[in-house]
This record gives sequence, structure tokens and C-alpha cells, in this order.
Amino acid sequence: MNAAVLLERVSAGYGKTTVLDQLDVIIAEHSFVIVTGSNGSGKSTLLKVICGVLAIHDGEARVLDISLMNPNGRRSVRRNIGYVSQIQHEPKIALTVIESVLLGRWGSSFSWLKRSNEQDMEKAEDALRLTGALDLASRDIRSLSGGQRQKVTLARALARSPSLLLMDEPTTYLDPEAKSDFMHLIRRLHESLQFTAIIVTHEPIERKRSDRLFSMRQGKLFELTGEQRSHLWDR
Amino acid sequence: MGSLIDAFSIPIIRHAFFGIVVAGSTLSLLGIIIVSLNLTAIRFTLMHTGLLGAAIGTAIGSQPTAGAFIMVLAASAIMAAITKKKNVSTSSASGLIMTASLAGAFIILAVAGVPAMQIFDIFAGNILMLTRIDLLFTIFLGLLIVTFFAIAYREIQLVLLDKELALNLGVPVDGMMTIIFIMVGIGVAGALRLVGALLVDAIILLPGIAALRISRRFLSALLLSSLFGFLSAACGFILAILLDLPVGASTAIVSAIIMAVVLLLPDTHR
Repeated sequence: MNAAVLLERVSAGYGKTTVLDQLDVIIAEHSFVIVTGSNGSGKSTLLKVICGVLAIHDGEARVLDISLMNPNGRRSVRRNIGYVSQIQHEPKIALTVIESVLLGRWGSSFSWLKRSNEQDMEKAEDALRLTGALDLASRDIRSLSGGQRQKVTLARALARSPSLLLMDEPTTYLDPEAKSDFMHLIRRLHESLQFTAIIVTHEPIERKRSDRLFSMRQGKLFELTGEQRSHLWDR
Repeated sequence: MGSLIDAFSIPIIRHAFFGIVVAGSTLSLLGIIIVSLNLTAIRFTLMHTGLLGAAIGTAIGSQPTAGAFIMVLAASAIMAAITKKKNVSTSSASGLIMTASLAGAFIILAVAGVPAMQIFDIFAGNILMLTRIDLLFTIFLGLLIVTFFAIAYREIQLVLLDKELALNLGVPVDGMMTIIFIMVGIGVAGALRLVGALLVDAIILLPGIAALRISRRFLSALLLSSLFGFLSAACGFILAILLDLPVGASTAIVSAIIMAVVLLLPDTHR
């Protein structure tokens, strides 16, 4: 099986501060991975490296078989990555749900003076249908509940038809029922669409749902297996 | 009606009308960005730095508006740079610059022995003193703003929706924010000349707030903001001519009436 993410001795950070320290990991295509860790442990930085936003200081990085060692590679890999961010505070911009999902295709088929077309709109509708939020298409995003907003955020990421879906604290601020619904939805979509999924979270989301579980501490990844997996949230 | 026709037969009145209408229709687009990005405190800071610039201009025997313009531009560039620093919040920087500007203005006026009334123009604006160069500048500024929205239509939406997402998709968020700050700075500086520091909100902010309240789509918010800005400027100017009122104040009154009417309408996006 091919590797969706291959990081070898990767160090990365901001300015002179190193956040990821000689990190090694191989994540197979189509797998479902959860990375846990406390705030500031480097989880979000890991996602920034994988989606090519943050250049690495040292080591070797390949994502979806594309090297991240140069800007062209990083730009190219972003076209195939969907990104689900932490739920935002109530947005203030006037935007319908379908418009906001369409924005998820930015950089893959349209940007700047190259405008979106009918096909982009169809992809946005398909993505909303997949997340069960098509009935919200004409609603103003400011009128959505937290759970609805996160479904729309997921649709925005799926609108890119991604091979790799990165999720940064996707269930933070959701109530327990909405958290559970959201994780069920992600798992169901992962099974049907066969993308590689990486979720980073500091929350005790259901570990049974992941193929592999990692803990991030001081810029390094540690895989949790067997007993460690089952005891992770009991501590 | 006769007095209105007589007034518009004077070239300077026609220039002034055209200038304020162009400004109202285009600067109001910036209001959508200011409200959506929660930059209302920053535009208030820029207005105060305008006062400092006017004080410096007056103290050295130059034009107060020229000083205000330069200072507002400098402050917007500084604010853009500060927002990139993770350890300084925008509101902290805003508070610091605003207080220092106000204090600086009063000190300069006191030391230079300039009567405070001399810089009253900066508060009230003086559209009837609009020169041909000012008018051309206003048109250029309007075109610049419209062009920015036309080129970066989706990119602006992404930045206003979620900066983190925009960054991860590859949008040059820092560059966009710098352009936005400079644009807001130039807009505030331009509006100072037209309606005065205290009434900048009338053509920049209130139309945007009103439009965002009754729009569900981004394009309709932009068009409505522009329409409200146009109506405020045009009706305000005509009212000022008919009733012999200060243009800035009557523009602000019309803008406030539009805002009040919109507030009374049902909140359609909820």
C-alpha cells in the first residue's frame, strides 16, 4: 500500500523556534488516523507541514507522492487536500452556505481572475449532499448552529474531492451529541469515499474509530497500541 | 428647486457633488470588510492619527489635510505590520496608537501655539474646497477599491470567512491583510477630506453595517452597501444645498436614517 504521508526526520517551526523535532511517520493511503496531544504540542504545526503551508527546516517530506521540498510541490499537493478547521466564532460575513462551500474549491479549479464555473457549483452541491446539509444551501451561514456549521465546513473540504482530509480540532465547541454525530459522519464518508483522514485533537473523541492512534509530545509522534490505546482517555 | 439648479450651475458644486457621490458609492464597500473582520476599532484609531497628522501639518505651516493623509497612511501600514505579530493583539496596538496620537496632537497644538479651532476643518471636512486633483484622486481611489474587489472577489470572501482556512488553501493572507489595511487607511484619509473625521463612519461604516444586516449573499451585501453609500452622499449633499447645512453632517444624517430604517426591517438572515 502506498504512503499518503511520509515524513522522515522532519524538523519544522516558526522563525528560530523548532516545534516538530526530527519527526518520523508513515501514514498509508485510505487510513484513518487520530493524533492526540495537549495544546501547544505541535499537532496543528504537523497539519501545516502536511498541507504545505509551512516549509520544513530539515528532513524529507512527501505527501500523496509529491515532494514538499519546493514551493511548486507544496502548491501542487494542496490541490488534493481538504482542510477542516476548528469551528469558528459566529462569522460576520454575509454568505450563503452554497457560496461558502464553493470557496473550498479555491486553488483547485479557480482563483483570482479565473472564475468558478457550473462544474464547481455542482461539486459544491454534491459535497453538501454528502454531509446531509443540502437543505441548508440557500441559508445565510450566520444563521447556522454549531453542528450545522461544522457539517458545512466538512462539505467545504469535500468540495475539493480530496485524497487527504486534514481536520484540526473539528469537534471543539460542539455539544456531546453533535460531536458524536460529526464523528459518525466522518467515519461513514471515509468508508465510502476512501480518502486518507488525519484528525488532530486534544479531546477524548472515540478512539475506536481510528485505524491508528498517535500521541504528540514535544514535537514527536508516539504511536499508541493495545493497552495504551484503551487507557489513553482514562488517565 | 430653483436654488438647487442655480447651485449646480457652479462648477465647484458639481465637482463636490460628483466627488462625494463617487466616495459614497465606493468607500462604502470597505465597510463590508471592516465589519466582517471586526476592524471597527482600527478605523477609529486611523481617525485619531488623522488628527495628529493635521496638528503636525498645521504646526509646520502646511495643509492639515495633507498631514492627516500621510499620518493615516503611515498608521495603517504600522497596524498591518503589527497584526502579523502573534504576541501583539490588534486591539492593544489600536489602543496604544489611538491614545498616543490624541496626546501627541494636543501637545503639538499647545507647543506650537495653534488655536485648536484652526484644525476644525479636519473634524468637519470641507467638500466645497475639493480641488480638481482631489476629485481625480477620489475617482482613482474608487476605481482602486472596485478593482480590488473584482480581482480578489473569492479571496476576500475566504479571508473574511476564515483566515486559517484561507492560509491552508494557499491564499496569501498576510499580503491580503496588508492591502486591506492600506486600502482602509486611504479610504479613511480620503473621507476625512470629504466629510470630516467625526463623520467618516457615515460613508464608510454605516452603509456596510446596514447592507450586512439585510443581505444573505456577498454580492448583494456589496451592491447594497454601495447603494446606501450613494444615497447617503447624494441625498445628504442635496439636503445640505437646499437647507444650507454642513454637507458632512447632512450626509451622516441620511446615512443614519437609512441605518435606522434597516434596523426596523425584519432580520431576514436569521
